[in-house]
Amino acid sequence: MEVDSVPQQAVQEIGQIDSADLVVGIIADLSQEGVAQICDALRTFPGNPRIVVLQNRLASGSTSADSVAPAQDSSLSLIPWVLHPQSSPTTPLGSVLAAYQSTLTVGARLGVRGCCVIASKLEHAPSKWVCRLTEPLLEASCDFVAPSYARRKFEGLLNSSIISPLTRSLYGLRIQNPMGPDLGISQRLFQKLLDGNQNGKTGGTGMHLLASLVPLVLCGNLQASQAYLGSRSYPPSDWTTVSSLLSEILGPIFLAMEKNAACWQRTRTSSPVKTLNEATPAPHMTETVEIDRLVNSFQLGIRDLQEIWGLVLPPASLLELRKLARLPIGQFHIPDELWVRIIYDFALAHRLRTINRDHLLRSLTPLYLGWVASYARELETAEENATEHRLERLSLAYELGKPYLVSRWRWPDRFNP
Amino acid sequence: MWEQVKQALYQSTTRFVTRLATLVPGFIALLVALLISFLLAWIVGMVVRRLLSSMRFDERVSRWGLSSLAEWSPQNSPTLLVSGTIACAIVVAGFLIGIAAFNSDMTSSLVRSIVAYVPNVVGAIVVLAVGALVARYVSRSVLIGAVNLNLGYARLLSVGTRWLVMVLTIAMALVHLRIAVGIVELAFGILFGGIVFALALAVGLGSKELVTKSLERDAKRTAADTVEEPLRHL
Repeated sequence: MEVDSVPQQAVQEIGQIDSADLVVGIIADLSQEGVAQICDALRTFPGNPRIVVLQNRLASGSTSADSVAPAQDSSLSLIPWVLHPQSSPTTPLGSVLAAYQSTLTVGARLGVRGCCVIASKLEHAPSKWVCRLTEPLLEASCDFVAPSYARRKFEGLLNSSIISPLTRSLYGLRIQNPMGPDLGISQRLFQKLLDGNQNGKTGGTGMHLLASLVPLVLCGNLQASQAYLGSRSYPPSDWTTVSSLLSEILGPIFLAMEKNAACWQRTRTSSPVKTLNEATPAPHMTETVEIDRLVNSFQLGIRDLQEIWGLVLPPASLLELRKLARLPIGQFHIPDELWVRIIYDFALAHRLRTINRDHLLRSLTPLYLGWVASYARELETAEENATEHRLERLSLAYELGKPYLVSRWRWPDRFNP
Repeated sequence: MWEQVKQALYQSTTRFVTRLATLVPGFIALLVALLISFLLAWIVGMVVRRLLSSMRFDERVSRWGLSSLAEWSPQNSPTLLVSGTIACAIVVAGFLIGIAAFNSDMTSSLVRSIVAYVPNVVGAIVVLAVGALVARYVSRSVLIGAVNLNLGYARLLSVGTRWLVMVLTIAMALVHLRIAVGIVELAFGILFGGIVFALALAVGLGSKELVTKSLERDAKRTAADTVEEPLRHL
C-alpha cells in the first residue's frame, strides 16, 4: 500500500492520532449536513470507540464559507481529505479508487479494527446505513460487509450482467455488489489485502484491491455479510466510456480469477450470505431505453470485430452471434447460456494472453451492449420485482456453465468446442 | 617454324592447365563447403523446427499479433519460415566460405562487400518485423476504438492505419538497405504531403457542410445520451 496515496495535509493530522478503532472514508459528494449526520450516528456506538472520519472536501464543495463543520470530540476526528485532481489517474474511476487505497493505508497506520468506505449518494439518510456497514466490524462478527441496494432494472448493469453472477459462480457467495462501492472491511481482511499487496499478489491499484476482496474472503475462510442500504443514486452513464469501464473493471477481476484458480475450482455450489436487514423493493419506474442504438453497436461489432473474436470465442459461439445479428430488433435476444460462455471464454483468453489484454476487454463492448439490449427489451415493460427473477436466472446460468469454464481453464487446447 | 608453333601451344596449354590446377583446390573447397553447409543446414533446420514445434511457435506467433507472418510462410507455418531461413543462412555462409577459398582479389572483395551488407539486411528485417507488430497493434486499437464509437467506417480506418504504418515501415527498410534512397524519400514526401493536403481539402472545403452537420448531430446525441439515457452501467 503506497503511503503517497494519502494527501500530505491529512498525513500530518493523522500523525497526531495514536490509534483508532474505525476509519471511515467518505468519497461520496455529501453535504456537510450529511457528513454531520454520519458523525452523529458513529458517536452512538456502544463502548465509545475511537473513530477517524476522512472527508473528501473537494467532492463535498465544503470549502465554501457558509458550510458548517461537524463537531469533533475525543472519540471522533474529522480529517479533511482532498483528492488532488492531478494525482488522480485519467480513467473514469481513478480518483475513487485512489481514495480506497488512502483509507486502507490510514487504517493500517492506526491499527483500526475496521475500515469503511462511503462512495455512494443514497436516497435515505446516510446516518442509518453507515452504522449497518460498520457495526459488524466493531463487533468482530464479520470481515466483509458488502452493500445491497434496492434494485432498479436498468441500474448497475455491469454488476448485474458480469461482476455479481461471476463472483457467485466462482466463489460461491451470493453477494449483490461484491465490489461495493460502499463497503466495510475488518482488520483481518485488510491485513490480508496488505500482505497480498506486499507479496505483489493483488497489484497496486484500488480496483485490484476491490477485485481481491471476495476471493480473499472465500480462500481465507473469512465471514462475509451484506447490508441493505436502500436506493443508490447512480452516476449518469456516458456510452463513450463503456469500453474503458469494461477494461478497467474486468481486468482486475480476471486477474484475481487467475490468481485464485485453485480456490474457485474447488467451489461447487453457491450459498447466500447473511443479510443484516430486510430489503424493500424499489419503486416502479417507467423508463424507455434506446434499444436500436445498442443493437446497432452489437451488429457493427459482429461485422467488424469477428477477426478478433475468432481468436477468443469457439466457432459455435461465433455462429450463434452471427445468427443473432440477423434477427430483427423486435426479436433480438441473447440467451443466457451464450452470454455466460462468452464471459468465460474472454476470461480464459485474458489468462492465455490470446491477444493484448486491453484490446480483448475493449472488444467485449459490443457484446456487452448487445446483452444490455436483450435484457432491456425483455424487461422494458416488466415490473421492478421481475428484475430479481431475471438476474437470478442469469446467475444460475453462470453456475450451470461453470464446468465449461473449469474444463477450458484446465485444458485450453484439448477442450475447444 | 613448326617447332616454334608447337612450343607456343605447349606453353599456352601448360599455362592453362597450371591455372586450372590452381583453381581445382578452390572448386573442391567450394564443393566441400557447400556439401558441409547443406548437411549442417539440414541438421540445424530440423533441430530448430522440432524445437519451435515443441514450443508451439506457430500459435505463439499468432497470439503475439504476427499472424501476417504466417501468411508469408510456406504452408502458413512460421516455424517452417524460421527454420528455412536459418538453413538458407547456413548454406549462404558455406557458399561465401567456399568462394573465399579461391583466394583471388575479386572473390575476396565480393565476400567483403556481401558480409558488410549483412547488418543492413538484418536491420531491415528487424524494422519490418517491428513495423508489422506496430501496424497490427495500432490497427486493432483503431478498429476496436472506432467500433466502440459506433463508426460505420471502422474497418476502413483500421486497414488504412495498418497500410500507412506498413508503407512507412517498408520505406524505412528500403532506406536501411540503401535501395533507391532518393526515390523512396521523394515518393514518401509526396505521398504523405498528398494525403494531408487531400484530407485538409476534403474537410476544409468539400465536406464543410457535412462535417458541420455531423459534428452538430454528434454533439446533440452525446448530450442526450448523458442526460436522458436511463441505463446505468456502474
